[in-house]
Amino acid sequence: MIQQGEHVNVQSFDALASGSDNHLEPTDLIVSTKELSLGFGQKTVIADIDLSFPRGSITALIGPSGSGKTTFLRTLNRMNDNVKGFTRTGDVLFNSESIWSPNIDLLALRRRVGMLFQRANPFPMSIEQNVIAGVKAHNIAKKSQLKQIAKMRLEEVGLWQAVETRLHDSPFRLSGGQQQLLCLARALAIGPDVLLLDEPTSALDPTSIEAVENLILSLSPAITFIVVTHNLAQARRISHNTAFFFEGQLTEYGPTKHIFEDPSRPETQRYVSGRMG
Amino acid sequence: MNHSIAVRERSRATLLKRFFSIKAVSRIAAFLPPAALVFATAILFAEALPAIKYNGLGFLTHTQWRPGNFYVNPVTTNGVTHPVGALYGALPLILGTLESSVLALVIAVPVSIGAALIIVEKLPDHLSQTVGLFLEVLAGIPSVIFGLWGTLTLGPMLARDVFPLISQIVPNIAFFKFFKGNTGHGEGLLTSGIVLAIMVIPIIASTSRDLLRQVPRLTKEGGAALGFTDWETNRWISLPWIRTGLIGASVLGLARALGETMAVAMTSGAVLGANPSNAFLPMTTIAATIVSQLDSALTDATGLATRTLAEGALLLTLIALATNIAARLLVRRVSSTALPVGRGI
Repeated sequence: MIQQGEHVNVQSFDALASGSDNHLEPTDLIVSTKELSLGFGQKTVIADIDLSFPRGSITALIGPSGSGKTTFLRTLNRMNDNVKGFTRTGDVLFNSESIWSPNIDLLALRRRVGMLFQRANPFPMSIEQNVIAGVKAHNIAKKSQLKQIAKMRLEEVGLWQAVETRLHDSPFRLSGGQQQLLCLARALAIGPDVLLLDEPTSALDPTSIEAVENLILSLSPAITFIVVTHNLAQARRISHNTAFFFEGQLTEYGPTKHIFEDPSRPETQRYVSGRMG
Repeated sequence: MNHSIAVRERSRATLLKRFFSIKAVSRIAAFLPPAALVFATAILFAEALPAIKYNGLGFLTHTQWRPGNFYVNPVTTNGVTHPVGALYGALPLILGTLESSVLALVIAVPVSIGAALIIVEKLPDHLSQTVGLFLEVLAGIPSVIFGLWGTLTLGPMLARDVFPLISQIVPNIAFFKFFKGNTGHGEGLLTSGIVLAIMVIPIIASTSRDLLRQVPRLTKEGGAALGFTDWETNRWISLPWIRTGLIGASVLGLARALGETMAVAMTSGAVLGANPSNAFLPMTTIAATIVSQLDSALTDATGLATRTLAEGALLLTLIALATNIAARLLVRRVSSTALPVGRGI
């Protein structure tokens, strides 16, 4: 299976370099994994993943439930480190340096590699405080600038008009879509290089989904996005590259167009055509 | 077909009937606790009425506690028969009750929250269960045991080793002057406060622990993903998430401390008729006075002494009620930002 993974990888690099709708330099990789295997306790969730994410790209991770996409995603900013029984072999490189290297500060890593979750998770503080919570934690702005930052980020995600008059109210009164946009504003406020999105729109209505998707497209290529999604149409709409996970393996990785229209492997073909999953 | 429908309808009818009786019983049950409170307060009030008439407002402002002379014939003032020279002032008891309880809370709340955070967030499962078990056992220890330990062991130890130190290190300004001067012999306000704190810690800590377990993992992970330290996650997410519940837990502890009798009676020095000049000296509380004075009060043939104790009990009930109402108002203010858990304690 390792050989297969390598094979897939080489193919995907070729595809990246020559892909017509993708002009990103294949050598400028912001995140890459090296023979990464993850598991909990005795169970291996995914094995031998070599996957590289070009800077500025939007990558969709697709595959049936239980194929290890979310575990993989959460490992990229070390969210799994404290999960009981978590095991790992292999490595993840962020800007060519291992994220577990002693030179890398965990909190600083998470400032560079942010995350948006499946369901909105506002903090129990006012809407404005939610946006600037990370800014305050990392101490990256003067106190006098915080209000301005909150306004800017809320405008960026298109929430400003809706919340302008209730910045000091609870975020729990906002709609689900608005809450998720608020969480996105919060993640953007600390200026991440990479955003990991774990099925960010699975709990949202179509209008909110469109808002989030447009936002992702507008923020690329300033931010590199890695998106776990079960929504194949979404993967097609927003991603440059798509990685197909199946039964704990990276089955196929390449330009989204290629994966959806002319996949190399039969499992991928079955999944993207809706005959599986 | 018709037959079966009829059978069903009949069974529905019996069900409804049974349902009504269940409803009636639960209605009565729901009204029992408030009824008991009203009943007890009314009885207390009736019992205390002559004392209220005789003591007047002075009961709240005087510091003297003199049952009067039981050996000469009683006299009658304002229609109340009383021993000659009887004068009851409960100010030291009221202050003692509030001071010792607040002191207990000031010590217990941070310790309890810290303990709960460590139990939930830091300890491995088996240890967290063991510590939790100890907390619950601690909550079940009779207060007389704490009292005995407080007066025989803790008090003298504090007076010898800790109080002189406190007296030395606190600055000699404003509020802190209360912790300076004669450090006493170990029976007094601070000893009672510490013993009370130890008694309410299990209540507040176990409630806080249960509350902390309700904070969604997703929200805490949101903090971690943003690069929060564990402390920041606790400070900004977990504790605010449960803040209304924490107030409720603290009030539970405060109620226990306000009404605690035996342990305070045994560790406070139970001195009547004077406010302690500092935190180390003997004092007393309403509850401790009731238990320590009941015996001699029964020898007052006019009954004024027992009626005065009833007045004290009424006062304690009112203080407890007022604390609860204040806590509810506080919860309403704090939860105005619509908190997801712990609303309405």
